[in-house]
Amino acid sequence: MPEPPEPTIESRGWTRRRLFAAAAAAATTAVVRLPGPDVRRRLIQMNGYPIDAETPLDLLTSYLTPNDVFFVRHHWNPTFPDAAAWRLTVDGEVERPLSLSLADLRAMPRASATCVLQCAGNGRALHRPIVPGVQWKYGAVGNAKWTGVRVRDLLEKAGLKAGARHLHTFGTDKPPEKVPPFHRSVELDKVREDGLIAFEMNGEPLPQLHGGPARLVVPGWAGDHWMKWLDRISPQTAPQTGFYMDVGYRYPKTPGEPGVAFKPEEMTPVTELFVKSNITEAPAGARVGTAATIRGFAFSGAPDVTKVEVSDDGGATWSPAALGKDHDPHAWRLWSFAYTPRKAGKTTLHARATDSRGAVQPRDAVWNQSGYLYNAWPSVEIEVSA
Amino acid sequence: MKGNWGSSVFLLALAGAAVRLSGSPAPEPNPLPLVGTQLGEFPAGPMKVVADQACLRCHSADMVRQQRLTEKQWTAEVTKMAGWGAVVPEDQKAGLIAYFVEHFGPDNDSFRPVVAQPPPR
Repeated sequence: MPEPPEPTIESRGWTRRRLFAAAAAAATTAVVRLPGPDVRRRLIQMNGYPIDAETPLDLLTSYLTPNDVFFVRHHWNPTFPDAAAWRLTVDGEVERPLSLSLADLRAMPRASATCVLQCAGNGRALHRPIVPGVQWKYGAVGNAKWTGVRVRDLLEKAGLKAGARHLHTFGTDKPPEKVPPFHRSVELDKVREDGLIAFEMNGEPLPQLHGGPARLVVPGWAGDHWMKWLDRISPQTAPQTGFYMDVGYRYPKTPGEPGVAFKPEEMTPVTELFVKSNITEAPAGARVGTAATIRGFAFSGAPDVTKVEVSDDGGATWSPAALGKDHDPHAWRLWSFAYTPRKAGKTTLHARATDSRGAVQPRDAVWNQSGYLYNAWPSVEIEVSA
Repeated sequence: MKGNWGSSVFLLALAGAAVRLSGSPAPEPNPLPLVGTQLGEFPAGPMKVVADQACLRCHSADMVRQQRLTEKQWTAEVTKMAGWGAVVPEDQKAGLIAYFVEHFGPDNDSFRPVVAQPPPR
């Protein structure tokens, strides 16, 4: 039996077809099928507890990422709220503080957004020099349809006062020991524009692992703003303070020298995602003059991705890929590229995306000591035969 | 090696797939460990008990095992975690940092993430 590649995230070419091929090679009859459970449905677990697990790239090939293989990122062991007893408190700079049950929320006008959720630290392991933290590579990202109520509608119901500028957000997960609480805030202008309090994910009740019964959805912004197990929102005049606002989730205002830590005054909060593509499928080998298909996804903090290109000469020349027809504001676009090799030998393909504001994915990501927002060109190596 | 355990299970699963024929009965249980199963431990040695006591109340050893940090970075991490409540006796701190640098220094290539079964739907 041919030895299958180790099932890590590097196994980009590991497909159902290969699994069949591996099985068929050793079988005594021609008809073989997979065992009952689909062992392709899997997560790459980085941490046993709290759970941190990324999605293998070969499962990030559909417009909507299925809930069960969607990446999981917990700061500490969460206390899952009991959905029947759960309440959402709205207080702070409002005329009428509210306490709402899940049924109350479900009775309000609904809204949906299909958009990307990416951990701020996705790709941290690819930064050089190496930085501490969960060593995410490619798959702390997914695209889902989030359904719930508009933050705007909820604040209108509560009577938002004029002076409020920041929405303070609180979840039910409590830190252990003396770890600072994960209290956050997000600019009111942003969440009033398109923020949701979601209780459904891809048409199912929001799973507990993903913040159920309800979480904040901030389209186009990094996951640190998407408070899970949300139980209180509070408009205030000033931003939230504390470790996870003042130290964590900060990014350099301007690039510096890799490996040289930025000072606090040189940093600004992580907000929008950067334009980024990734390669999810590529053949291990190809032939000169014969087209081979490369696929991937691309997204940005800007509402749409307008172009994805592929290069086989290290970025000297680029050819446009075909964009998938599905797109929504801040959702990813799937793309495919029919690559016809021009010469034999090991060939490295790169991809880059351009967003609707004209931002182009850079060759190198901006190094920062927390390893946030990695978005360098992805690459894949294929063996081209004559 | 413990970190590879998930992969080994997976290879067994593939071997199982190879002999499974069309029309076979009953679905088999998913052979992968359920996501959230802790599999990795700190390496053996006199500092293991210190690391267990300092770290495991809040997170599994995996969080440490995947790092590749310099002595300076480890010193900063251990100091931060002690401030957050990790129990690190003052006379053990230098030894713990040295143990982390030895096993999880910049050239640490021993960590393998666990291939895990997704949560039930």
